[in-house]
Amino acid sequence: MWGRVIEIMIAVWIALSPFIFRAQDDLVVLWADQVVAAAIVLLAALSYWSRLRYAHLGSLFIALALIIWGRTSGSPPPPIHQNHIVIGLLLMMIAIIPNDASMPHEVWSRERLSP
Amino acid sequence: MLDKEPVGDYLNVNVPPYSYNPSSWSQRIPICVLAMVAAIISSYMSLYQWDFIDSTWDPFFGDGTDTVLKSKTAKQMYAFLGIHDAALGVLAYIGDAVLGFAGSTRRWQYRPWLVILFGIDVIPLGIVSVVLVLCQAFVVGSWCFLCLVTAGISLILVYWAWDEVRVSLAYLRIVWMQNRSARVLWNAFWGIRSEALDHAATTLLQREVA
Repeated sequence: MWGRVIEIMIAVWIALSPFIFRAQDDLVVLWADQVVAAAIVLLAALSYWSRLRYAHLGSLFIALALIIWGRTSGSPPPPIHQNHIVIGLLLMMIAIIPNDASMPHEVWSRERLSP
Repeated sequence: MLDKEPVGDYLNVNVPPYSYNPSSWSQRIPICVLAMVAAIISSYMSLYQWDFIDSTWDPFFGDGTDTVLKSKTAKQMYAFLGIHDAALGVLAYIGDAVLGFAGSTRRWQYRPWLVILFGIDVIPLGIVSVVLVLCQAFVVGSWCFLCLVTAGISLILVYWAWDEVRVSLAYLRIVWMQNRSARVLWNAFWGIRSEALDHAATTLLQREVA
């Protein structure tokens, strides 16, 4: 589940970003980043429940939204939005990593089919 | 019919035409480590492009690295991408490491999509990045030592990653040849198990080692 752990770490970074990049006075950025961070944590946490094991794929949409938001916020975008682009791309590559990625999928590991 | 076997017995097997398992940790960990080295070098160049440091280290070309990283071409890329090209390089190398690390030692069969994605990240993008570095040298007129180092690392990564991608493609080819079914091939790509896929893997594993 290391992919989910990294997603939660990314969410913590996003939540702190408005303060790191001194954009906390922009309430849209401030609250949007908190909501995005909460959504990523929620999806990562839900992935631990076997019935919702693919919930982390929802973070792909969040990642795409972050990239689009960052890229359409100026040319070049201000630092807080460059952060959104970078984090969006990073989140995209982590969100596709399956749960228990270092092990075979359950159907392969439980038993072998005879040829 | 199901036949129970311990997982460890068949995960880490040699895959013809190679006399080793291209998905083994000993094959993949060096790729991840080298990709992270390239990511660190690219991060250093990003710091310069973001003006966090005043200059970069270049033992051979004087201020060549600084010139290339702050060139008109680099600024055009920045205006187009929204982030500096070195930062994009960092993400690409981290992607190599992440996709190289994910998956079991039999992922060439169990998660071909992951191997193919890893191959797309390493091979075409690696070659493109090398070409871009060389073009930059000719367009900008300066050589960038650290860019050349990362380009060299990209080529090594391409060489190291190729065997696993080849094995995964060979497995998918066997699946297609034996079944001629887009659905079975689709299932093989996503690692959805069936007897046909086990049979295809057995066929591949029983080939002669060159």
